[in-house]
Amino acid sequence: MALLQISEPGKSTDPHQHRLAAGIDLGTTNSLIATVRSGKAETLADLEGDHILPSIVHYAKDGTVSVGKSAKLFVCSDAKNTISSVKRLMGRGLKDVQKIKEFSANQLTASGTGMPAVETDCGMKNPVEVSSEILKSLVKRAEESLGDELGGVIITVPAYFDEAQRQATKDAAQIAGVKVLRLISEPTAAAVAYGLDTGSEGIHAIYDLGGGTFDISILRLEKGVFEVMATGGDSALGGDDFDRAIAGYLVEQANIDKGDRSAYQMAMIKAREVKEALTNKERVEINFMHWKGSMDRALMESLIASIVDKTLAACRRTLKDAGLKASEVQDIVMVGGSTRVPLVRQKVEEYFGKKPLTDIDPDKVVAIGAAIQADVLIGNKSDEDMLLLDVIPLSLGVETMGGLAEKIIPRNTPIPIARAQEFTTYKDGQTAMAIHVVQGERELVEDCRSLARFELRGIPPMVAGAARIKVTYQVDADGLLKVTAEETITGVKSDITVKPSYGLNDEQITSMLQSSVSHAEEDMKARMLREQQVEAKRVIEAVEAALAENGDELLSKDERHAIEEALKQLAYIAENGDIEAIEEAIKVVDKSTEEFASRRMDASIAKALVGHEIDEI
Amino acid sequence: MTKAQQNYFEIFGLEPNFSIDVPKLSSKLRALLNSVHPDRFASSGSQQQMLSMQKTTQLNDAFAVLKNPVKRAQYLLHLKTGIDTSKEHTVNDPEFLMQQLELREELEDISASSDISQLNQFADKISELEEVQEQQMAELFLQKPLDTDELQKAIYKLQFLHKTLSDIEQAEDKLLS
Ligand SMILES: Nc1ncnc2c1ncn2[C@@H]1O[C@H](COP(=O)(O)OP(=O)(O)OP(=O)(O)O)[C@@H](O)[C@H]1O
Ligand SMILES: [Mg+2]
Repeated sequence: MALLQISEPGKSTDPHQHRLAAGIDLGTTNSLIATVRSGKAETLADLEGDHILPSIVHYAKDGTVSVGKSAKLFVCSDAKNTISSVKRLMGRGLKDVQKIKEFSANQLTASGTGMPAVETDCGMKNPVEVSSEILKSLVKRAEESLGDELGGVIITVPAYFDEAQRQATKDAAQIAGVKVLRLISEPTAAAVAYGLDTGSEGIHAIYDLGGGTFDISILRLEKGVFEVMATGGDSALGGDDFDRAIAGYLVEQANIDKGDRSAYQMAMIKAREVKEALTNKERVEINFMHWKGSMDRALMESLIASIVDKTLAACRRTLKDAGLKASEVQDIVMVGGSTRVPLVRQKVEEYFGKKPLTDIDPDKVVAIGAAIQADVLIGNKSDEDMLLLDVIPLSLGVETMGGLAEKIIPRNTPIPIARAQEFTTYKDGQTAMAIHVVQGERELVEDCRSLARFELRGIPPMVAGAARIKVTYQVDADGLLKVTAEETITGVKSDITVKPSYGLNDEQITSMLQSSVSHAEEDMKARMLREQQVEAKRVIEAVEAALAENGDELLSKDERHAIEEALKQLAYIAENGDIEAIEEAIKVVDKSTEEFASRRMDASIAKALVGHEIDEI
Repeated sequence: MTKAQQNYFEIFGLEPNFSIDVPKLSSKLRALLNSVHPDRFASSGSQQQMLSMQKTTQLNDAFAVLKNPVKRAQYLLHLKTGIDTSKEHTVNDPEFLMQQLELREELEDISASSDISQLNQFADKISELEEVQEQQMAELFLQKPLDTDELQKAIYKLQFLHKTLSDIEQAEDKLLS
């Protein structure tokens, strides 16, 4: 069977227009996958009918990897080889995470990349690999139940995830072999599901307290446009912290040695049971190792109150960034398992002065929102259905003299965005300049997260202060950063796509890809060729659609002919050529449509402007 | 390339004036983004994707400048006269300098007394001054020919008031946390 059926340009092409896309909520404790089927978004269940996949991975001695419920069985019996809450390690350096108690100090070691790695009987596993196992398991579930390959996915990340954490998430997807259409924020996804469900316009706050992260986002919904006005939170605050506070109490009561890892692990599990039980009950009896006792809701609330207060402080800051008062928020949507805790609901209600909405399923809403957006991005929905406008959660800056961080793009700036700043040399004859990219709100570089360092070399020697070095930060729609530095007098340039200090480089990703189980049987080359052919097909479809839409009005006969020739060429090469040839032919098509693309863009802007004027009358 | 770079006002189909209806501009921005945002081109060719990214970036950038009165004034002055007021600059206006000192002192006193309601009152006062200053700015920009000295002074004043407001916010943050 031919992999591709390419018809003559001009004729309609695709037999099955509908392409499969999915939304993935990659959570600290639980993960889900959802898709849109016959117009309805729903989460997908495993064979036993469970929708939630516990985010737990177990590595057995014989190399077997299990994920989810089957891995959960090993949490106590084989703690060493069972990894939970791996999301807390994503994009972090070893030093950052040694404080996290679930991972004992001797379990985490430095991998060559500066990333922490967990030592298992199957060898060292870094957080990106572990996450990719969870992704693979979800994708497999989807492909089995849908009966076809996924064309692309959206993965949600906490709004407050920084650059390094986002990049790590994308890397995990790459290793799992799934195409990421976009990363979107968890609260934004929830807002999509909720907003489309209720159709209510206005200003909404999404309060998302999960297992390991807290996000607060303020969104404005107007005519299908979801605009994030401000976002804030804490990427290391969640139900796990409630558990930890309660576990601390249990360990103390039972008089257990603090270094006893397996006892601590058991205390955490018990604490979570107690916490969840106290959501509906006033008091629970506890049997923990040799200790018997009980805990009532009031006692638990005293243990966790300060954690809940931290979330409210973040709400206050975020409202201020949005330029709003608490009373101006129309409704508060509660997302994430931890918003079931009565004290959380009570404090949120006190703060906003109105009852938060708790009637949607807090577990599924993020995945469902992501699925809806994935369906739009992959092209199954017609345009103008809805649009998400997101912001960067944390300021991006650069180190200047004296270890100060100068902000180049302030937090809550809408993306995509580019900002430039000029710097100069401070020594006579200086020919290189170090650029240190940082993220965070603090004034001192040492208090911010270091994202990357690079050097602009080859500056012609000049007196101090004469060179003009323009540093440009460009953040794309996924919230990922690219930095360019240029000496503007001579045009000496240097640019990097920021690969965070604790990330994987391309080689490491490729080698993990090759060793990864799902690709072992498959020849990498064949897969790449197929991907390139699919890409060619996509390009042809896109250009044909554009030609059909306004080729007549925007192109002369000759211009149109040239484009059609390039398309024919590409169609032929896609079927007969190798990877490089296809790549080359795509470039030729790109080149031939450059002018057309720009005219189309201008035309659609002009149309939007006119349309807007008419709307207003 | 096909045509000269549009200025920020032209991008939104506006005449270059200081007075702008920001809510209206913001809904215009959304209408424009609706047709150029990268999400609209997720399955298009890379050419179109890059253009969309550029256009969206440009729109976001233009909006960020136009919605902020200080940046808008600086941009407009630069557009009309080539004068750059974005770098540090001081203006000789003894009367305003006095007022400036007084306002700073008032803020310090209030911050020291940790009185939130007083701080809020002070914020209201500065906001009013800012409004007056913006009105004056609008008038100055309508004059022909432009009085660039006065305009630079006005920008400087507005900038100062803006800065004071953000200092008040920081003081409030400190008090509340
Ligand atoms: N009935 C309940 N009462 C109290 N807490 C609960 C209840 N049910 C679930 N939780 C808590 O919710 C948390 C898990 O929530 P959720 O599944 O939303 O997190 P996640 O998506 O995995 O994490 P994150 O979004 O932070 O990455 C756990 O801490 C769990 O104990
Ligand atoms: Mg979650």
